[in-house]
Amino acid sequence: MSFALEASGITKSFPGVRANDHVNFAVEHGEIHALLGENGAGKSTLMNILYGLYQPDSGEIKIDGQPVRITSPHDAIDKGIGMVHQHFMLVSPLTVTENIMLGQESLVPGTQALQQLARLDHHKVAGRVRELSKQYGLEVEPDAVVQDLAVGAQQRVEIIKALYRNANILILDEPTAVLTPQEADELFIIMRTLVGQGKSIVFITHKLREVLASADNISVMRAGKMVGSVRPADADQNKLAEMMVGRNVLLQVDKAEARPAGTVLTVKGLQVFDDRRHMAVNDVSLEVRAGEIVGIAGVQGNGQTELAEALTGLRPVAGGHIYMLERETSHATPRRVIESQTSHIPEDRQKHGLVLSFSVRDNMALCTYYQPPFAQGLEIDFSAIDERARELVERYDVRTPDIMTSVGSLSGGNQQKVIVARELTRPVKLLIANQPTRGLDVGSIEFIHQQIVNARDNGAAVLLISAELDEIMSLSDRIAVMYKGRILETLEAKDAVREQLGLLMAGVMKDGMHV
Amino acid sequence: MSVFMDRLRSGLIRNRGWVTVLLGLFGLVAIWALLNLVIGGKCEQKCVIDTLAQTLRQVTPIAFAALCGVICERSGVINIGIEGMMLMAAMVGYAFNLLVFQLLKDSLGVETAGNVSRIVAMLMGVLSTVLLAWLHAVVSIRFKVDQVISGTVINILALGFTGYIYRQFLAQNVPAGPGTFPLVSIPFLSSIPFIGPILFVQKPLTYIMLIAVFFIHYMLFYTPWGLRTRAIGEHPRAADTLGVDVIRMRYINVLWGGVLAGLGGVWFTLEAVDVFNPGMTNGLGFIGLAAMIFGKWTPIGSLVGAIIFGLGSSVTATISIFRPDIPSQFPQMLPYILTIIILTGVVGRAISPAASGQPYEKQ
Amino acid sequence: MSNIPVARANFSWRRLAGDFWQLIKMPALAIILAFAVGVVVILLTSRSLTTVGEAYYGLLRGALFKQRGFSETLVATIPYIFLSLAVAVGFKTGLFNIGVEGQYTIGSVCAAWAGVAFSGLPAIIHLPLVLLAGALGGAAWAALPGYLKARTGAHEVISTMMMNYVAFRLAEFLVDGPLRDPLSSGVQTSAISPAAELWKLSAYPARLQDPLNALMVALVAALLVIVLARALLKSSRFAARMQSAARRRSLYIGAGLLVGVLCFVALPPLSKAWWPFTDPYDRLHSGLFLAVLAAVGVWWLLWKTTLGFELRMVGANPSAARYAGVSITRSIILSMAISGALAGLAGTIEVIGVSICGCLPLIFSSGYGWDSIGIALLARNNPFGILAASLLFGAMRNGADLMELNSGVSKYIISLIQALVLLFVSAPAIVRWVYRIKAAPKQEDDAKLTTGWGGPL
Repeated sequence: MSFALEASGITKSFPGVRANDHVNFAVEHGEIHALLGENGAGKSTLMNILYGLYQPDSGEIKIDGQPVRITSPHDAIDKGIGMVHQHFMLVSPLTVTENIMLGQESLVPGTQALQQLARLDHHKVAGRVRELSKQYGLEVEPDAVVQDLAVGAQQRVEIIKALYRNANILILDEPTAVLTPQEADELFIIMRTLVGQGKSIVFITHKLREVLASADNISVMRAGKMVGSVRPADADQNKLAEMMVGRNVLLQVDKAEARPAGTVLTVKGLQVFDDRRHMAVNDVSLEVRAGEIVGIAGVQGNGQTELAEALTGLRPVAGGHIYMLERETSHATPRRVIESQTSHIPEDRQKHGLVLSFSVRDNMALCTYYQPPFAQGLEIDFSAIDERARELVERYDVRTPDIMTSVGSLSGGNQQKVIVARELTRPVKLLIANQPTRGLDVGSIEFIHQQIVNARDNGAAVLLISAELDEIMSLSDRIAVMYKGRILETLEAKDAVREQLGLLMAGVMKDGMHV
Repeated sequence: MSVFMDRLRSGLIRNRGWVTVLLGLFGLVAIWALLNLVIGGKCEQKCVIDTLAQTLRQVTPIAFAALCGVICERSGVINIGIEGMMLMAAMVGYAFNLLVFQLLKDSLGVETAGNVSRIVAMLMGVLSTVLLAWLHAVVSIRFKVDQVISGTVINILALGFTGYIYRQFLAQNVPAGPGTFPLVSIPFLSSIPFIGPILFVQKPLTYIMLIAVFFIHYMLFYTPWGLRTRAIGEHPRAADTLGVDVIRMRYINVLWGGVLAGLGGVWFTLEAVDVFNPGMTNGLGFIGLAAMIFGKWTPIGSLVGAIIFGLGSSVTATISIFRPDIPSQFPQMLPYILTIIILTGVVGRAISPAASGQPYEKQ
Repeated sequence: MSNIPVARANFSWRRLAGDFWQLIKMPALAIILAFAVGVVVILLTSRSLTTVGEAYYGLLRGALFKQRGFSETLVATIPYIFLSLAVAVGFKTGLFNIGVEGQYTIGSVCAAWAGVAFSGLPAIIHLPLVLLAGALGGAAWAALPGYLKARTGAHEVISTMMMNYVAFRLAEFLVDGPLRDPLSSGVQTSAISPAAELWKLSAYPARLQDPLNALMVALVAALLVIVLARALLKSSRFAARMQSAARRRSLYIGAGLLVGVLCFVALPPLSKAWWPFTDPYDRLHSGLFLAVLAAVGVWWLLWKTTLGFELRMVGANPSAARYAGVSITRSIILSMAISGALAGLAGTIEVIGVSICGCLPLIFSSGYGWDSIGIALLARNNPFGILAASLLFGAMRNGADLMELNSGVSKYIISLIQALVLLFVSAPAIVRWVYRIKAAPKQEDDAKLTTGWGGPL
């Protein structure tokens, strides 16, 4: 019996790195096959090859036992492979129907001859979308504009887009990254339905828990090589983690008991609008004391970004108050926030945290270039900045050929280290860390977790915002769950139970009532 | 209350095309009031009709420039070289008009030769801008040069080239040409009172412009070409994964944009006046871009924007006639100041197609 | 564990030369290619090889070798330097200031006014006043579009372009109206006071006889020496030896004072006795020093000061700049203002340095504006590169007259060649393709200009 999809000996190199090294990968018909690996292991590369976005340097791909060559996504689609990317391939201002028919447009009968000038037949496509929606239990509204849809709905549109093109093999890249645990469960139900109707599914993830819960087969990749395949029944989290990283991984951060002191940050009734003028932060109150880590759990898109931006002066506060050590900072500029000894590790390191074309040295001084000893008045003393940068690169083990190298050429982990070095080596009273380990390899994650704990132990108040529940649970002393702009509940970390947090993240309160 | 405001806001945003049109019409009325204020009601019906007809003529190059901008930017390519393109088309059109006329006037007779020469001139002018558009496309799409710089290069190249050819060949001893396109009066429609003389007694390029606006609107929102164009300007990678050839579409669309810019350029020397002066486009290419932004990258919205600016120009001219006591320079400043005001006061934020300005990298 | 290699390995002249060649390789090849295309164009339009030779020979002679050729080249270079610096400052902040021509115009009008309005004041006050007026005029003219961009996102390409046309009309009105010279038959402003003029190099001996003028020169010289000495002291090995900052300060201030006194006392009689520039028809003026000073000033501003760091940050990544505490609004407005001031100074200098009548005639677009954008791009926004590139463009502009006289080829071919230079410089890939060169590793520091049309940052 042939496999639905079989890849053998796939090798792909990019300048300086071998992303895939003689990888063998096979998916049986009707199975849910998880591809596991940490960031940078090569899973996305493999999938992109299967989807025709990259061409392998060598190796063979077979579909239903027949060797095929996939030269473009169009090819892949023709051969029945559909992919749902981590960052959706949806054109925001267009409707669901328009997105689905893009590239394969239905034309109003009679106008076909005009080809590219013919009239689009929205009606027909919308009808087919509704059919598929019912068949697979994927709820979508054909005439909705994509940018108005929630993330989960957008994901369903992506899936229907693949099914519309008769995909038999569906590849899902980190599908649960943007979903609540409950939405993730719904997705797994959908996956079972699809598989029950004859489809085969590959999903890429780095989350051990869901892999064990929902996959039929697990393949683990590490550093470009396929380490092996196991059935969930034969493995546990520790074994998988070891396969992923190659050594015993500290799944839990080693930290001492917290010793909180006075309150540093007080937020009262905060209200903040997002870019679309919706209330993203809706009456949030919280407190963070020196020497403790408060973790805000929640799926992205529930106002955490706007909360962090409001706290750091990057977004105007519409209502409520923020107090930093008794002083009101509700309308402080980012500079004043920095000067009140607040450090901020931003969510998007390349957009907000670094100037990619500047050197490592310049980025080390990004927030402090105007203060002594770096500058007296107008003039900058670059020798002082040089010295400091060298020291920090050494201390934080930033892998860079030189401090004058542009920071854009560093790896993600090293870029984040630059930011962490910069933010934690000033006097810190309040640290706001927003998704600090997103997209990083395990080594960097461990390092940064340690730095955050150290900051706490040195007396800083730490506000940690993360969509990774594991990270929140292992680092926080207290946990607050944010849902649709509100803090639903705040509890001590030691009292927190995973399932309960998951429910809160989906808006289900203790008494079972949905918010 | 806030729910109402939210609904109002999203309703406005959803129908932003119409909102823009309405606001534009409001702007027109405001300008009208200004005109009457300044010249004290001395403008009778004939004067009004003449001003409006003149306005539509002025609108033509601006609208073409805006349409060129719309197509290019909707595809994801910023084109600030429209000014240079129009200038090039103006010169080439002028030169070929003279040339072909001189060649043919003896064999075909003055009138036929004139018609032929004007049409040939128009085609050659358009060809010249298509070449410039091709250059812009190659430099910014293939060589991935910053699109603003690439557009600037086009402008400088056009300035230099037209200046050179003009001084070398066209400044002195120029034989008489056949003149510009004549007014064409559409038989039945031009007799409609008031609207007739304004809309239906115009030169050919103006008619082409009006047709083009509505045609491109249809194309952009109702056809596969339009869907794909909008997609490649917003999220080229998404379109790419679905099989749309992003690079090829961008090239072709920029070339079509060149056609439109060419039509706008030949207006200067084949419809407006019968001479070529270096730099005669006088910023209308940039005003066209402002009209495009005003119109939120839609053809009809851009037309409304162009009308506002065109009205500014013709109001200027009318004011100068009726009020010779005002130094002519101040009314002349009006269109430009108007552009700046419109640019800053556009409804909401002008959000351009998301991927415009970014070269597309196939992996 | 250190992963930083030993810094600054042995210095070598060969390495320096190699680095220098890397720096100018692409622009140089682009220029050669552009001139080659120019040859083709001239051939096509004149169908004669001799015309090509005559043209380029005339160009060269006119730019360099004919009598006063080089000094005329320098005269043409000076406004290019200021305008290109203006454009470059904008570019570094991510702003495309096409409005330099308009700011130039406004600057010249303000200078023409100030030159007349404050007549009677001695040069030591009047000259700086006029310079200030021109700079402020240009700065204000540019700051407005800057403010609009910062607040409403109005793209500066369009708004500065519009401001250009408004400026031309406004200048036309003023020159023909309120500022018009009642005594002259031409349409021009009244002649400025001689005290406001920028001294020609040949006029120094005469000017220096006035003690106030000598004082002005002495002050300027003293200031320059102070700045220079301070910079040298900071970077040299002496710095380590000098124990305290106070001692260092007294050293360079002392040096400055010494030079100042020397100048005041010795220069006037010395210059009367011997002075290298004696040709009274030579138009080269002190604006040259101002231009070089401006280049150094811009370099210092952008790469050595906190303000410059902020401007470059905003140009490279406005989001990160906001995060780091930089006020984007302030940066945009300041950048445009500085840019406008430089452009305004260019206009000022044309009035007070070059103008024959000491006035501002009815001028039309000079074309300097577009060229200076080309120069800024050619020099990659580096102030010293701008000095070199401006010299090239100035030479071409100056030589073009003789070229036309010599060969009949219209001097506008220069515009064409300049456009080609710009094309080849901005698309290095084209040059590489023509010359079959391999691509060098990317290490650009170019600010992003195409940030879309709308939305405040």
